[in-house]
Amino acid sequence: MRWIRENALSLTFMTLFVLALAGQAVAGMLEFNDQQLVNGLQPVSLLAYVTSSPFAVDVSENWQSEYLQFLLFIMLTVWLVQKGSPESKQPGEEGPGSDEEQLVGPYAKPRSPAWAKSTGLRLHLFGNSLGLTMGTVFVLSWLAQSVSGLAAGNAERLTDLRDPISWGAYITSPEFWNRSLQNWQSELLAVLSMVALSIYLRQRGSPESKPVGAPHSETGTEG
Amino acid sequence: MRRMRTALAALALLLAAGCAVDTAAPARAAARFHTAVAAHQDEAACAMLTRQAARKLPDPGETCATALGDLRLGPGGRVTSVEVWGDDAVVRLAGDTVFLHRFTDGWRVRAAGCEPERDLPYDCALED
Repeated sequence: MRWIRENALSLTFMTLFVLALAGQAVAGMLEFNDQQLVNGLQPVSLLAYVTSSPFAVDVSENWQSEYLQFLLFIMLTVWLVQKGSPESKQPGEEGPGSDEEQLVGPYAKPRSPAWAKSTGLRLHLFGNSLGLTMGTVFVLSWLAQSVSGLAAGNAERLTDLRDPISWGAYITSPEFWNRSLQNWQSELLAVLSMVALSIYLRQRGSPESKPVGAPHSETGTEG
Repeated sequence: MRRMRTALAALALLLAAGCAVDTAAPARAAARFHTAVAAHQDEAACAMLTRQAARKLPDPGETCATALGDLRLGPGGRVTSVEVWGDDAVVRLAGDTVFLHRFTDGWRVRAAGCEPERDLPYDCALED
């Protein structure tokens, strides 16, 4: 019970994620089968749909943009600040910070992670592991989007009695960039809203907000 | 280490088998369709069409077989290339391009007698 309480945030998001993905699978299959009937083709089962390229491209195009959003947020906040935002460091604190501030190498505490106490490549990898992981998942899911988008797009082109295209032609096609950019713009707007609105607005009790009574000009404090 | 290499090889084989696309079946279906047309077995050829194509082909009062015979499709010839994406395929023959769709009972012809129109849809004598 204590374990559930201590991990309630992750567990809740995991549950919501699974429910939303399942809902997307069912709704996507119903829409796909509706189009199949229009084209005089057979409806597909849920299993066939969730292993198909149309489902894969819809999932991966959203995943890549989310991971890109967090990659940019994590990396840009190292070097850029926003006065008054709880998401930002104080102006003047831009950069990766000193070893003393980051508690690494000789400044590591007894309970610091083992790799934080090391030096060289291990320390560099661990010190950038969050950004590297987000970046890797972004690249892989964008690659998955390009492959599944090519497969789904070519199946659609054949339905329209058109020749299929190559992967190279697909990743320079308007469809690939439309799918990518329509997701990117919404993610970038969401981050901008979070950074800017949190200067002037509050959510009592949330660590994503400043304390209700904190001045608008106060930067980097979380309530 | 050897066990890991064996496991990786088995995984690669499984993935290759899972991702392998069967191009032979649509090629056979397209060739069979053109063989039937060339032999004037129009009813047999009509049975290889998708239900929608077989329904759209004849004018009122006409049968599918009569309408198909009237199209006078040229010979298909040998298969030069096959592309399969999902449940759809295009089979290029020496004398024609044929579009097919995979149903639970096998590949059926959606369009035949097709001429390319640059990046636009093919112009087909028969289509669903």
